[in-house]
Amino acid sequence: MAELEVVEEKETGTAPTTGRFEPKIVAFLCTWCSYTGADLAGTARMEYPPNFIPIRVMCSGRVDPEFIFKAFRDGADGVAVCGCHPGDCHYISGNFKTMSRMPIVKRYLEQMGLEPERFRLEWISAAEGEKFQQVATEMTEQVRKLGPLNWNETVETQ
Amino acid sequence: MNKFASAEELTRYQGELKRKTNGALKTISLCGGTGCKACGCNEIHTKLVEELNLREIRADIKVTGCQGFCEMAPLIVIRPDDTLYIQVKPRDIPEIVEKSIAGNEIVDRLVYHDSDGKPIPKESDVPFYKAQLRLVSKKTPYIDPMEIDDYIALGGYSALAKVLTSMSPEEVISEVKKSGLRGRGGGGFPTGRKWESCRKAEGERKFVICNADEGDPGAFMDCALLEGNPHQVLEGMLIGAYAIGSSEGFIYVRHEYPRAVQTFSNALFQAGEYGLLGKNILGTDFSFEVAINRGGGAFVCGESTALMASLEGRVGEPRAKYIHTVEHGLFNLPSNLNNVETWATVPAIIDMGVEEFTKIGNEKNKGTKMFSLVGKIKNTGLIEVPLGATLRQVVFDIGGGIAKEKAFKAIQTGGPSGGLLPEGMLDLPVDFDKLWEAGSMMGSGGMIVMDEDNCVVNISRYFLNFLKDESCGKCLPCREGIRYMMEILEKIEKGEGTMEDLETLEEIAHTVADTSICGLGKSAPNPVLSSLTYFKDEYIAHIKDKKCPGGICKALINYYILEDKCNGCGVCAKVCTMNAITGKKDQVHRIDLDLCEKCGACLESCPTEAIVRR
Amino acid sequence: MNEKTEIIAEPDVKMVTFTIDGKEVTAPDRTFLIKVAREHNIEIPTLCYNEHLEPYGVCRMCIVEVTRNGRRRIVTACNYPVTEGIVVETRNERIINNRKLLLEMMMARHSEVEVIRNLAKEYGVDTIRFKEQPSEECILCGLCVRVCNDLVGAHALCFAQRGPERYVTTPYDVESDTCIGCGACYHVCPTNHIKMEQMDGLSVVYGDVSLGPDKPIHIDFMQAVPATPWIDQKSCIHFQTDGCGICSEVCPTDAIHYDMKDEIVEVEAGNIIVTSGFKGFDPSPMYQFGYGRLPQVMTSIEFEKLSNAGGSTGGKLLTPDGRTPEAVAIVHCIGSRDKNYNEYCSRICCMQSLKFSHLIREKTGAEVYQCYIDMRCFGKGYEEFYSRVLSEDVHFIRGKVSEVTDFSPDGLPEGKVLIKVEDTLLGIVREIPVDMVILSVGIEPQVGAQDLKQKLRISVSPDSFFLERHPKLAPVATATEGVFIAGCAQGPKDIPDTVAQANAAAAAVLQAIAQGEVMLEPITAEVMEEQCTGCETCLSVCPYEAITKDEEKGIAVINDALCKGCGTCVAACPSGAIKQWGFDREQIIAEIDAVLADIAV
Repeated sequence: MAELEVVEEKETGTAPTTGRFEPKIVAFLCTWCSYTGADLAGTARMEYPPNFIPIRVMCSGRVDPEFIFKAFRDGADGVAVCGCHPGDCHYISGNFKTMSRMPIVKRYLEQMGLEPERFRLEWISAAEGEKFQQVATEMTEQVRKLGPLNWNETVETQ
Repeated sequence: MNKFASAEELTRYQGELKRKTNGALKTISLCGGTGCKACGCNEIHTKLVEELNLREIRADIKVTGCQGFCEMAPLIVIRPDDTLYIQVKPRDIPEIVEKSIAGNEIVDRLVYHDSDGKPIPKESDVPFYKAQLRLVSKKTPYIDPMEIDDYIALGGYSALAKVLTSMSPEEVISEVKKSGLRGRGGGGFPTGRKWESCRKAEGERKFVICNADEGDPGAFMDCALLEGNPHQVLEGMLIGAYAIGSSEGFIYVRHEYPRAVQTFSNALFQAGEYGLLGKNILGTDFSFEVAINRGGGAFVCGESTALMASLEGRVGEPRAKYIHTVEHGLFNLPSNLNNVETWATVPAIIDMGVEEFTKIGNEKNKGTKMFSLVGKIKNTGLIEVPLGATLRQVVFDIGGGIAKEKAFKAIQTGGPSGGLLPEGMLDLPVDFDKLWEAGSMMGSGGMIVMDEDNCVVNISRYFLNFLKDESCGKCLPCREGIRYMMEILEKIEKGEGTMEDLETLEEIAHTVADTSICGLGKSAPNPVLSSLTYFKDEYIAHIKDKKCPGGICKALINYYILEDKCNGCGVCAKVCTMNAITGKKDQVHRIDLDLCEKCGACLESCPTEAIVRR
Repeated sequence: MNEKTEIIAEPDVKMVTFTIDGKEVTAPDRTFLIKVAREHNIEIPTLCYNEHLEPYGVCRMCIVEVTRNGRRRIVTACNYPVTEGIVVETRNERIINNRKLLLEMMMARHSEVEVIRNLAKEYGVDTIRFKEQPSEECILCGLCVRVCNDLVGAHALCFAQRGPERYVTTPYDVESDTCIGCGACYHVCPTNHIKMEQMDGLSVVYGDVSLGPDKPIHIDFMQAVPATPWIDQKSCIHFQTDGCGICSEVCPTDAIHYDMKDEIVEVEAGNIIVTSGFKGFDPSPMYQFGYGRLPQVMTSIEFEKLSNAGGSTGGKLLTPDGRTPEAVAIVHCIGSRDKNYNEYCSRICCMQSLKFSHLIREKTGAEVYQCYIDMRCFGKGYEEFYSRVLSEDVHFIRGKVSEVTDFSPDGLPEGKVLIKVEDTLLGIVREIPVDMVILSVGIEPQVGAQDLKQKLRISVSPDSFFLERHPKLAPVATATEGVFIAGCAQGPKDIPDTVAQANAAAAAVLQAIAQGEVMLEPITAEVMEEQCTGCETCLSVCPYEAITKDEEKGIAVINDALCKGCGTCVAACPSGAIKQWGFDREQIIAEIDAVLADIAV
């Protein structure tokens, strides 16, 4: 229901008068560690904000920077990439590729004027349901504080 | 000197030496044996050289090994006349040189005189030598042990040459077997059979060992051979090694024989120089090396397995010989161990031929045997007699009977663990089997003669004490049994023995003999058992009458002064250290028995034989 | 002393027939007589014989009379090699008399030594005719010296002096620095003359008996599978001194080879079942329980070894000082359900503790105190067993033990320790003196599980046990295809559960084998020929080397069988020429679109 409310607010194009700003955060989770960790958080009935929306990929190495830019462009307020801890990658070295790609993406985003808090790279193992919950909550709160990105508007007004 | 490349070269060299020594020069053979050394032969040697130089007389002086007649040391023999001078003093030298060397006279006062006072100048006519048959020790009086040439000149190493050039190892073994030679160390095991087993035994290396750990008190045959004629021993070992198929030899010499080590190592060096030892001996394929090993002085190391253990560097303790050393001996490899005398007999056999050799001795005992004849006898010394000669021949013909006109009591053969044989056994032939049957043994050849002043209990106790100290202590019966036997004998010596003790003593003696590991323990009860057989009355005298017939056991004797003989001279009172003798001058003296220490000094000193021991 | 080699019967050794005490027997040629006699139950007394040492033949007790080639003689059975046709008498009059006298000699010197006394009694030796000496314990049998020199090779013992003065000592009579503390001399000494004092780190001795692993050859625990013993090179004498070698001598199948080394065996397998098990919690950091400090405190695993009939006490429950305990405390939840150590319940300890209570009651009748937090008896028949133990007069105290101590202001009886525990049901603090404290330690993942996890690319759950793919749908599978888990590797569980899980894992593997073919990951990547520029970027990122370059066409080619579908190459391709089935660019973009749809409108 909360999502619907946001939709309505967005439709009106005005800041919500009642309730908080509910950011949309797209989280790319690798299927073996982070996604299982999220699963664990779920089966453990841990609560985490619905703003943190997972997209499953086989490996964090599959996360093409394009996807991140695309998400931001299309209205995401934050993007998270989560993978296995270094050394634990199901695909031997997939997360090492992520590890070297993502800082570049982050710097690029920052140059574009993005707040660094809107993009996060996290290592979450299958056992770390709690960490997943914590990352999701924390990031949602941070992004909530920053307010909407309104990327389209910014670009258009410029 | 070049090494002999062939046997012919050796023979040629022998011929040269013989021609050289066949000159007109007189040879002075000066005995340098231990007995003669102790009696001053070194000074005699110096004096002799001095005297000859002074008079500018050319003569050949040879300091030889022990010639045997130790009682009469120092000895000088002038050859070729073979004049024997006995108990020579340095001051006699000028006279001997002047008369016998410069001239051809005989110094009568220095030659041997028989019991009738008749002088016997010629060495071979002296009864001591005459009754002997010298085979193994034949060459000793003619050679300088430090000179290999002396030995070669007398035909030395020709036996080796013969064996190497004309006989196969099997033929050598067969010859030794035919000769009937038995181990001279005391075991009496047929040497040929031993060699044969060792040759047949499987092993990558084989060893030849010469046992020169002569430990019997009073025995010095091996010592005399090694000091007097080392090359003969070496030649025997070489022949044995060839027959067995060995190329490594050891000689185990007891540490107390430094001269033997000296002469033997010199012999090894010289033989090596001549190509008689080392690689390709006399140009043949046969090679042989000998190492000298000094024993630490343990009696038990004369036992073959203990000796080998000692050679290996372990504690010299015997082991059971159910598995023979010829198969698994030194370093677990086939090893052939023989006594010095056995080795020295081998060249003699080859030289003279089996037929001649087997003519000596009796049916089962061939050849001769050397003995060291000691004790209460007139002529002590080193002797060699054919096996089968009777004890009487040894004691009376060679030994000249009991000294000081005392009565013969016993003779002990075979060292400390031999048995005591009484007068009634004097006609016993000296051979391995007969002595064993009589409760004694051949041993390595010690012979101790006892007279009426010896006490058999004391003698047995003495030998047991020796064996107790020399027992390695490995097996129980030897370690404990000898001690308990000795304790009983001590009791008897003190007059505290009982007849039950005699039974116990016999019982222990049989158990120790039955159950000990090695020869030391097995033969240790021999003195006890034989004396219990032949001299039981003497034990009973100690136990029942509290008397010591030999007058030795102090607890059982007392000294008394015969009143009718004492002239009151007071000499006895002066010598008595305990001041036990009192008496006024010219009056009969008395001995205070409480103070008397029973040393016997008074008895020795009394000019009128007034003191008696009862 | 060197005859050892040839008596070991070769397969083709000749057999000989001979007579022993009137009985005709057959044995390999040159076997030592005593062995043959013992095989035929003919008793020959010995004091210095040990079948693992070369016979020494010094006590002379084993004398027998042998007739060979018509010659009778007394020999020692321990080192006499049998040959064809010999006639052996082991107990004739001559032998008995000799043995009697030898024993009499022994009694004169060792009158207080039990083995000697017994033998002397057996042979009716009652009077000693020799001068008796103060009784000596050492009978100079030489077993210790020989075992030390010949077998162990430490050369720390020797004989000194000779004859009656002979004695056993260390070389040069000084404290030996070559002694390795193996205790071989202590074990072979027939008169207990050699005592064993414990030295640091050389053997684990529980009171008088060793709990292991002092024995270099052992099976880790009685139920170990396979039950193959192994040699601990650190404590094995052979690896220290090159000596001993008894085990290889006695092994009938010649299975012991000292030159064997640990080796890495490479096995090609399509499936792996991880059953790396568990390790018991080490309670030494819990200082309050005194483990490692107080000899009375042991872990449940150590107690299991102690009470095992195949253990060092033969299953007898003994306190460190060798007494039967009067009171035993069992402390639950050591390292389990504890925020400071492991939070989870180890599941097995309650039932194990109940079993211990039952055993202790049965074997010793000692008072048993169970100090528990909660009794968890969840399995089939478990609650019933709990009830039974409750009826066996076992004291159940609900409360955690706060301290185990050997100090009490009122003083403690010798050998006891005090446990302090609050009985939460009664609301009082109790102090109970006990003889033995068993710490019911929890289960922890095996050492090295972390390494294994990385090697196999599988995950672990928060408690560090391996993680199953799905707790209900795939309980024995893991995230990695072909890797399965079972038993305590997956989490604490008892034997029935482990067996069940292991069966499931085996079945899962068999399923794959039975199918004969493997389903490949459908989400592989594929190169679109027309877009590929042949830049080779993808070649360098592929962890499986599944991408090669088709030189002819100048493009990259992905091998479907090797590709695991991670998609790293897809993300890396600068010209977007690679697509991943199931996770194609368009699909993910659509997913992002869908997620953000309401905003994008």
